[in-house]
This record gives sequence, C-alpha cells and structure tokens, in this order.
Amino acid sequence: MNVTSEGDSLLGEIRVLDLADEKASFCSKLLADMGACVIKVEKPGGDESRAIGPFLRNSPHPDRSLFFYYNNTNKLGITLNLENSDGREVFCRLVRGTDIVIETFPPGYLKGLGLGFEALSELNPRLILVSVTGFGQSGPRTNQKSCDLVASAMGGQMYVSGSPSTPPLKPFGEQSYYSASLFAAVGMLLALRKRNQSGKGEHIDISLQEAATSTLEHVMIRYFYDHIIPERQGSLSWNNGFCIVPCKDGFILVTLFHQWETLVEWMDGEGMADDLIDERWSDEKYRLQHRDHIIEVLKRWTKTHTTGELFDSGQLMGFPWAPIHSPKEVSESPQLEARDFFKAVDHPENNISLKYPGVPYRFKSSLLKQVRRAPLIGEDNVEVFQGQLGLTREEIQRLSSSGAI
Amino acid sequence: MDEEILSGLRVLDFTRVLAGPYATRILADFGAEVIKIQSKKTARGAESNTSGYFTTFNRNKRSITLDMSYPEAREIALKLTAISDVVIENFSPRVMSNWGLDYQKLKEARPDLIMVSMSGMGQIGPWRDFVALGPTIQALSGLTYLTSFDQDSPMGLGFSYADTVVGLYAVVAVLAALEYRDRKGMGLYIDLSEYEAVCTLMGPTFLDILVNRNDVMPQGNQSDYMPAAPYGCYRCLGTDRWCVVAVFNEMEWQALCRVMGNPGWSQEQRFSTLSKRKKHAEQLDELLGQWTGKRSAEELVGLLQDAGVPAGVVQSAGDLAGDPHLKARDYFVQIEHPVLGKTISDASPIKFSEMRRADWKAAPLLGEDNQYVYRELLGLKEGELSSYLEKGIVG
Repeated sequence: MNVTSEGDSLLGEIRVLDLADEKASFCSKLLADMGACVIKVEKPGGDESRAIGPFLRNSPHPDRSLFFYYNNTNKLGITLNLENSDGREVFCRLVRGTDIVIETFPPGYLKGLGLGFEALSELNPRLILVSVTGFGQSGPRTNQKSCDLVASAMGGQMYVSGSPSTPPLKPFGEQSYYSASLFAAVGMLLALRKRNQSGKGEHIDISLQEAATSTLEHVMIRYFYDHIIPERQGSLSWNNGFCIVPCKDGFILVTLFHQWETLVEWMDGEGMADDLIDERWSDEKYRLQHRDHIIEVLKRWTKTHTTGELFDSGQLMGFPWAPIHSPKEVSESPQLEARDFFKAVDHPENNISLKYPGVPYRFKSSLLKQVRRAPLIGEDNVEVFQGQLGLTREEIQRLSSSGAI
Repeated sequence: MDEEILSGLRVLDFTRVLAGPYATRILADFGAEVIKIQSKKTARGAESNTSGYFTTFNRNKRSITLDMSYPEAREIALKLTAISDVVIENFSPRVMSNWGLDYQKLKEARPDLIMVSMSGMGQIGPWRDFVALGPTIQALSGLTYLTSFDQDSPMGLGFSYADTVVGLYAVVAVLAALEYRDRKGMGLYIDLSEYEAVCTLMGPTFLDILVNRNDVMPQGNQSDYMPAAPYGCYRCLGTDRWCVVAVFNEMEWQALCRVMGNPGWSQEQRFSTLSKRKKHAEQLDELLGQWTGKRSAEELVGLLQDAGVPAGVVQSAGDLAGDPHLKARDYFVQIEHPVLGKTISDASPIKFSEMRRADWKAAPLLGEDNQYVYRELLGLKEGELSSYLEKGIVG
C-alpha cells in the first residue's frame, strides 16, 4: 500500500524510473506499493502493455487495460520519446536525480541510444540499472525473442505441467514476468545496500528464462541427485503426496498418504474405506505400489461429499487439503475478506472505485495508506517536468511539439 | 567474506522445507550469516541434512541444534535473538507464541528486531490455523483451476511454485524493513501470507471478475487477452518433444510464413490479420502443428528465432542441465559437499556485474556450527555447552 508521506514509509526516499513493459512493470509496482516514488516513463501514445486485456467494461482502450491498471498502481506517469534527442536530454536530467532505472528493452538498445549503463553511470555514479530480458545480457541466446510462453517453455515449467496425454501446459497468467519482477526487486534492494558501502551503482541482469527455472522446486534436484527427468503426471504431485479428486460440487486437492490411519478411519466411519482397512495397506511401500487403487477408493468417497465439507473437516483434522477454487470463489474468500486483502481504489475519471488485490504482507498499520490507481497516459507530465525538473511552460511546449514528450 | 552485500547481517532461521529456506538461502547467498535452528527430531525427510532437497536450499547457512521442546532452549533462543538482526519462521501461527517467542517477547531481547512470520494463511483470519503446503495454496488461489485445459480436469503446476514466490516476497520484506531500520532505527514485524502472495500473481484476473463480472475460465496455453496468434505449444519430431511459438505482429507472422516456405494455407484470407488468426486459432494450430511435427524442436526454434519469431523448446530437466546458454551464464553452480562430494544447484538469477561464488559453502551438517555459535557468539563456557548437549537441549 502506498505511503505518500515520506517520513514514515518503508521505501519513501527511493526514486525509480520505470521504462519497463509488461515483462517487469510488476517490479516497480512492488516498490511503489511500499512507498518508493516511481515514475513510469512511456513512449508518446503509451506503453504497449496497455493493449493487453482484459479491459474495463470489456471495451479495449489504452487507458482501460486492467492488466496495465494492476501492474502500475502507485506510479506517476510521464511520456518521453527516447529516440528523440530532446527526449533523451530530458531523460538524462531525470537520471541525475534517481536511484534506480528499470528497463526491458532488447539487450544493447539503450546503449545504441547512448544510454547504456556506462553512459548513465557517468551522469549518476550511484545509479542502479536493472535490465529484465528474455535471456539476459550475455550468452548465445541473448538476442533471441521471448515472452511468457517462451520463458516458461525454455525455463522448464511446461515440460512438467499437464498430463501425459496432453501437451505441456504453461502456468496461468504471466508467471515468468512476475517471478522475474520479484527477483529484480530483491536485486534492486540488495544493490541499494551495496551502494551504501561502495557509493557506486550497479547493473543487474535478470533473465526471464532463469527466473522460470529458479521456481522449479524438485525438478533439477531430482535430476542432479536421483538422475531422474521429471515428467508430466496430471494433478498427481511429483512425490505422490497430492492429487485432485472430484466431489459433488467441484474438485478438491487431497493428500494420499498423509495421516493414513486417520484418513482410513474417517472413510471407514462412513462405510467408504473399501478394503483399505486391511492389514496390508498399513505398509507404506505397498500403498505406494498400489497408489491407483487408493485414488479410486478415495474418489468414490469424495464424490459423496461437497468440497466445503471435506475442506472444513479435513482441515480440522490437520489435512492440508483445499478445494480447487475458481477465481470467483477466491474473490469471495472469507480469509481474504477478514484480512482486507482487496482494496478499493478510486478511478475519478471514470467515476468508479475498483477492488484491487493488495499486498501479501502486513506491516504495522501506520505504514499502509490509500492506493493510487495506475496513471493515465502522460498524466503527470506537468508535475514531473515542471515540478521536479523545473522546466518552464515554454520548454515543455517546445518538447511536446518536437515529439519528445 | 567481508565485502559481500549482506555481510554483518545475522539471521536466526527457524524455517523448514522450502518457502522459508528459499528466502534465507537468498540472504545467505549474498553474505548474511544465517543460523538455521535444527534438532535431531526435525532433521528428517526434506530437512535431513544430506538429502538433495536440503543441500540445495540450505547452502551458505550455518546449522545449530536446539530442541525447542525444552524451556531452556527458549532461553537460548532469546539470547540468540539478542545478537541477531532478523528472525524468520514459517510455522503455523501459534507455534512461536506457545514457546513464548512472539514478536513482543523477542523485541525485548532485541529492540530493533526485524521478524518475518510466513505462514500459509497469515497470522489472522478465520483460516489462520489451516494446514497448507505449496499445492494447497495453489489450489486455493485459483492458480490450479486456471492452469488447466478445461474446468472438468483441473491439473495445476507440476511443482511447488507458491513456496518459491513467497520466499522471494519474504526477502523483499526483509530488505525493505532494513531500509526502514536504517532510517528510523526501528525494527518491524511482518505478517506474510503465502495465500495472498500467490493471489497477487494472478494479474488482472480478480479485477476482471470484480469489475466486469466476467467468468475467467481455464484456457490451457491459450489466452483471449494475449494479442498473439499463433500462440501455443506444438508437437515436434521425437518422443515427447515440443516447441512453443508466439506471433504478436505482422512482421513475425510474415517471418513464420517464410520459414515454413509460404504454404498455400498461410496466404488464405482467414489468416490475413491478427484478429482473424485469433478467431481461427484452432485451425491455425492444427496446420502449424502438421509442419512442426516433422522437425526437431531444436532445429525449428533455431530457424524461427533466426527469422525473428519468438519460439522456444519445451525443455526438460535434462535439456536444462545441458543448456549451452545457461552454461555460458553460469546458471548452475558446483559446490563440494563433505559427505555428498560434488553437488550442483541453481546459482541465483539475480546477476550483479561482479558476483563472487568462490566462497560458497555447501549446506551444513546437523549441528555443524554448534561450537562456533554457542561458544564464540553466545560465549557459553565449555561446561555449559556440554551440559546442554547431555540433556539433549542442544540436540
């Protein structure tokens, strides 16, 4: 949640210039939501990520992209043409007063404009530059094109998601962008601490492919230690711990072997344990060998219940089970409601207030304040160019007519 | 070690398995002194010191043994807190307070303490005591539902994604709290919910539901909202070999057609614009799949990328381990382990211009640093430590 008074905020003194498109706009949102002053720098006409849906009232428009709304809360917005020499000059002036620049251009693009890390460092030796690209700033694939689908495939997420009878499956949404943004945010905050010691900035290089690979949990461990290449196995988890089974009204994620005796007792109490009460099933190895039978018996039983019944009773008994919630059900979650997770954000130009997901952490309450919606295209040009850079009205007029802003 | 970014930062680490250990591994990789509290009772399964899982997620840390079921152990934990900057735990909400080690109490020992509690549901709310592992959180947040081909066969991700991302959030919170402490001289308590962490990664999904009242359904690899077609995963030559192709604009489409040798179908009216291609995506995927099926994934992706079309091989663990690009970027790091010998793990995707990994240390053996921590840091006498050892308090 944003903190506008710089006195009592987590990151209130940190200034960020955000040149990122959809690949990393979430990164500076993380910092902005903790109080950093983030200026989103878009090309005239607006960033291309404004074309990504869904849109407010299902009507496509650059100022109505919910994707852009979500990833750009609490930022100021200016337009600036970096391919125009006047625009570059204004940008350089902004760089002198900033701590962090984040960008997602193809490697070498900024350098080609005379705005590479060395050049920016000369303007501001304390500057931290963070680059988030498909494959990073070095290596044989550095210039290849990417997107979330390519990053997820090349990063190893897809190969292990889906079932043996389906194609590999990409995690929903833009997960490589979000995980890369989280890694980039950690990198920035580390670089700030490093700068306290060295007085010097840093160029941080984040690759979407590596961000995806870094979330693989068991996958590389089993390769390196057990010489196994993990494959797709539908909803069954890699260690046979979990699988998804049907209920009367939907699906639930259940454990197969956790608290075995309690589980069998529970099912048996309802006359649904079948042969699982037999002595041979108390042997763990036997259970593992005959896993599919256990799943069959479980399914017959779970189909006699609702997801809610099994979730409530299971949790009371210490089973880490959960219904497969649709996003609509998530939006109605009593837990999220009790924690005030969704926050109302005003959109005065549309005369509405929209409910946004908040942040996952609770700090002491005085650090949390009202969220400001994402900027409209060039909304803060005057405030930034006039207020912060001290340009005159005439200068802004000139920059505007030369296409710089 | 003294030139590292987090040198001098001491972290008392009560966490286990993945979410917490992933967070403290990042802190340790960048130079923090992470003291992991273990005991003979807890060092099992994924927490067994010589398992691949433990070794991977606990490198660069120290290990001490302390059996928290003893009241004396809690006194020692308070003393350790007094010399630490950060305490991290990922128990269910009641555990720390049952030990008398909630933030209020720990703050008495260390007034500017930063403490992070990372639990499945967070410290408050009707579900606070619910038991949750990564897959539980993915199911509850809508991620499993939406990572499926249709709503009648939910699948989800083949790995515990939630734990890694909440680990990252924990590090963001610790580093932000350090900035705050530097300026204000005050510590902070952070209540981090893994459930909410994954909910924040659903992008505009909840806005779409709450604002537009749209029903957001599973779409497999497709997305109505992604301005791209073709956009998907296609079978290639060989057993379980696949590639992905994503075409966002006209230039990329023309390039794809060229690489395919401009087959007749690609010039048809129904595929002539992006919106038409999206409308006829199923037919388009079918035709493209016939072409990709005759070639190797590597060859195809090479041809497409050379022509400027975003494409990638669906890489398996084996492909990743041998990936020349990851290799050129030193993505995997090799560390010698005293028992396991040569171990390999993912380094850190946060690449600074200079990053020294020469000093990286394998994950600790159980209680490996008891002497250092109890004798050198806490200043216990030889006799005191051996008495704790005998009673099983340090055990």
